[in-house]
Amino acid sequence: MLKVEIKRTLPDFQLDVAFAIDGEVLGILGPSGSGKTMTLHCIAGLLSPNSGFIKLNDRVLFDDAQKVNLPPKARNVGLVFQNYALFPFLTAGENIAYGIRHHSRQEMNHRVQALIEKMGLQGLQNRYPLQLSAGQQQRVAVARALAPEPDVLLLDEPFSALDSLTKEQLEMQIMELRQFYKGNIILVTHDLAEAYRLSSRIAVYETGKIIQCDRKDKLISSPANQKVARLTRFRNFMDGIITNIQDKSVWVDIPDLGTNLRVFANGHKDLAVNQPITVGIRSEHVQAVAAPGQNIFCGTLNSSVENLASINCYFDLKTEKSGNRSLEAAFSKATAPQLIDGGSCYLYLPPEQIVIITN
Amino acid sequence: MISDYLSPLWISLKTVLLTTVITFILGIAAARWMSRYTGKLKPFIDGAFILPLVLPPTVVGFGLLLLLGKHGWIGHPLSLIGTTIVFSWPATVISAAVMAFPLMYMTTRGAFEQVDTNVEDAARTLGASEWRVLYSVTLPMAWPGVAAGTILSFARSLGEFGATLMLAGNIPGKTTTIPVAIYFAIQAGDMKQAVYLMAIVLCIAFVSLAALAYLKKPKARMRSLPVNLVPNDLLYTTGKKDKTA
Repeated sequence: MLKVEIKRTLPDFQLDVAFAIDGEVLGILGPSGSGKTMTLHCIAGLLSPNSGFIKLNDRVLFDDAQKVNLPPKARNVGLVFQNYALFPFLTAGENIAYGIRHHSRQEMNHRVQALIEKMGLQGLQNRYPLQLSAGQQQRVAVARALAPEPDVLLLDEPFSALDSLTKEQLEMQIMELRQFYKGNIILVTHDLAEAYRLSSRIAVYETGKIIQCDRKDKLISSPANQKVARLTRFRNFMDGIITNIQDKSVWVDIPDLGTNLRVFANGHKDLAVNQPITVGIRSEHVQAVAAPGQNIFCGTLNSSVENLASINCYFDLKTEKSGNRSLEAAFSKATAPQLIDGGSCYLYLPPEQIVIITN
Repeated sequence: MISDYLSPLWISLKTVLLTTVITFILGIAAARWMSRYTGKLKPFIDGAFILPLVLPPTVVGFGLLLLLGKHGWIGHPLSLIGTTIVFSWPATVISAAVMAFPLMYMTTRGAFEQVDTNVEDAARTLGASEWRVLYSVTLPMAWPGVAAGTILSFARSLGEFGATLMLAGNIPGKTTTIPVAIYFAIQAGDMKQAVYLMAIVLCIAFVSLAALAYLKKPKARMRSLPVNLVPNDLLYTTGKKDKTA
């Protein structure tokens, strides 16, 4: 159990975050300079927050009120640095052993050997870090951090310096790591897909604040605000006013479209008629259909981009007000409508896929 | 007389070795402190540490004489407990150490500032005390610079003349180091002794320069080896093949 509630003020930046994790993987997601690494360094004791507290299991690592601030060596926190920060003058095996030198020689060798096997580093323990590939260095860094059996493992952008194939293999390794390391893991990343694959919960950072912290599926299905929605790849947003609420259905007047859009409340309980809201839909949830109807609009293809498995189409919607409302849709190649630029088709926005953003 | 050569050599060696040990410890301590210190006084403290390098040695010697003399700030209290430093053997060590310190300090500080703080922080999170971080991470990583500083301060104290003469004088068998002995040998017209002493100094200088080159060379394993330039069969010789290599 790790509980963090810290504030750290710099002249041009303020970190103010609070979260708790209990034996799970928390992904911290955010752009560069949003305070992700600073949070990890505060937990590890390399930086001191101005106020707040950090509790790990039943130990207080930092508490402004109690004047507690344990030094890094007393925290039992494992930290894997973005550049791995291996000791260049020690072999891989010696690097791993660095944090467990106080054990008996036998115990130390036993633990190092066990980690070498778990991290797939057999045969490499006598190499120096500069004789290892980036992926191997990263595994040595993880093994070194795990050797003292830390209560929490902090991974700072562990895959940022790797090519995509190595990255995939190392992601598997981190997932397998859960089989023998049951403690808390915090993973810092700027890649949503990576955070989604590896963690069970995700905290989204924006200039030193957490703008949403939720289970990963909840974060994807109901973003708390437009920033999170944009980060989780919602491409289409429309402002509107609620005109009618019936059971789970909500009708929203979208001035841009000049018509009512039907959406599902999806757990939103505080909705009221005449409330201004924003609705959003992912490009891959827009469907091409044959005939007009509710939530269906006629779109003219403006341009398209072909991806590996899908086609991204940018439509201009024809509306009663003849305003220029653009819409991005992503069709899988198999089901994409055969259109040339300037061609038209009907586009359906399924109510169950539209999210409501209230602020 | 062989003791005419041996005595200055012996005094010089004693002085130089003790001076090197003292500047090694003080230089590392000061470099460590200043590489972290961020206060407003930083440029002033830094300047004070390097000052002896800029000043003429006679000026430093004169300053030390004022400080350590019978009526000086340090000399007076010491004279009350019956100790005099001026014109004694310890004076050769003090003057040489003051002159050599800036070289050790500057070189070591530069080397410390090049050390990746993440690596030191990694050691801290692995349970290392500040003391262990210093000797097991910072010093090994800064080693080429620390070794260079040590050799430079060794060389500087071996060649120390001006400040030594001012503070320790020329008392044969007590404070006469090789440079002082050469000067006075030439003054006295004893060219033979001067040449022999010069030969000794040349030998020591050559040996220490060779040692500098040897110590400064990073160990082969630490030299950066771009991974993609390592032949694959070399990467695979030590056992199980690794797919991510």
